[in-house]
Amino acid sequence: MIGAQVLSLLAYAMGLQFLRHTTGGTLFLFSTVAPMLVMIGAFSVIGVIIFKLRRRHSLFDFETYTPGQIVFREGDEGDSAYFIHSGEVEVIRQEDGDEKVIAKLAKGEYFGEMALLSNRPRNATVRAASNLRLAVLGKKNFLNMLSAMPSAEEDILKTMKDRTMKRAAR
Amino acid sequence: MGFLRVLPLCGWALVPLAAGARPEAAKFQMDPVDHYGSRFLAVVIAIGIGLVVYNLLRYRGNLVGPTSWGVMILGVVIIPALTSGFGTILVFERAERVEFCASCHLTMKSYVQDMKDPKSNSLAAVHFNNRYIPDDQCYVCHTSYGLFGTVQAKREGLIDVYKYYTRTFHLPLKLRHPYPNGDCLKCHEGAVKWLSSHEDYKEALFAGDMTCMQCHGNEHPAHNIPQ
Repeated sequence: MIGAQVLSLLAYAMGLQFLRHTTGGTLFLFSTVAPMLVMIGAFSVIGVIIFKLRRRHSLFDFETYTPGQIVFREGDEGDSAYFIHSGEVEVIRQEDGDEKVIAKLAKGEYFGEMALLSNRPRNATVRAASNLRLAVLGKKNFLNMLSAMPSAEEDILKTMKDRTMKRAAR
Repeated sequence: MGFLRVLPLCGWALVPLAAGARPEAAKFQMDPVDHYGSRFLAVVIAIGIGLVVYNLLRYRGNLVGPTSWGVMILGVVIIPALTSGFGTILVFERAERVEFCASCHLTMKSYVQDMKDPKSNSLAAVHFNNRYIPDDQCYVCHTSYGLFGTVQAKREGLIDVYKYYTRTFHLPLKLRHPYPNGDCLKCHEGAVKWLSSHEDYKEALFAGDMTCMQCHGNEHPAHNIPQ
């Protein structure tokens, strides 16, 4: 995203230079190079937006990760919940500048639901601890699922409460 | 969001930049497309820069909510597209200027100087100094080639660029192709003064049996260039 914005700033700078002093060089930059930069930046932004919207509305997309790959980072916007289909993940938090593994989750467990229910950024980083396959449920569908299935809501709220208590005890 | 409200005002701060459009032109000679277009474009660009910088500072360049999405789409997609689209009008407008031609055709600087010299009696100078051609003099006399001619001209121009930078060009410069009569006749064809002074040749000129440059190449040259 920052790259796309830097490209657009470059294109704007070429536009200003063309306005200030029109020569063959500045006209070439503004009429040929700048549109290319703009297109690269615009397509990147549109691509990311489509990806985020799909994630937000997706009904179980599957994603695979190799050991060490990050699923999401602490502070990221929460746009989906994850159900572990196979493999393991580590839940990591930064404490006093050090990385601390606060939980390990395996097949059948889920994570990422807290940010969706609290509307706050991710409170931990999640990293694949082995070859990992995740079922990803977009925020909207996750919330729809909870309202349609009170038992699932109850179960998830209980898990959230347990995790919060474990964290507080630590 | 207060910053967003003052963005349009920031744009006006850049207007003097664009005012370099044609400083010598008096108000009645003003080209409205260039005058207002360059100012409008400067404001749009300033707003775009403001939005991108705002997003970088406020949201560290990330998409974190509806406002950052809006700012990002405006600053990186919509305004740049508008700038490129509207800028094309100005590109075509400004690409016809004498200063623009001279910015690449460096070996022709002396031709431009001769054209602007009040003491010169070359055809180019006569047309320039009497304002027979008020603006874009290079373009008016040297563009009758159309789209495909433009492609050919750019291709040949690359050879000129090579020759310029390797200093392998030869003076005096010569036209690659015969100067077309149509470039003179498009203005002179119906002029009473021209018709009376070219009574004996006009049919041959119209038919292409004779070229304008047969007389105006040496005896009354289009450009007086010191060799």
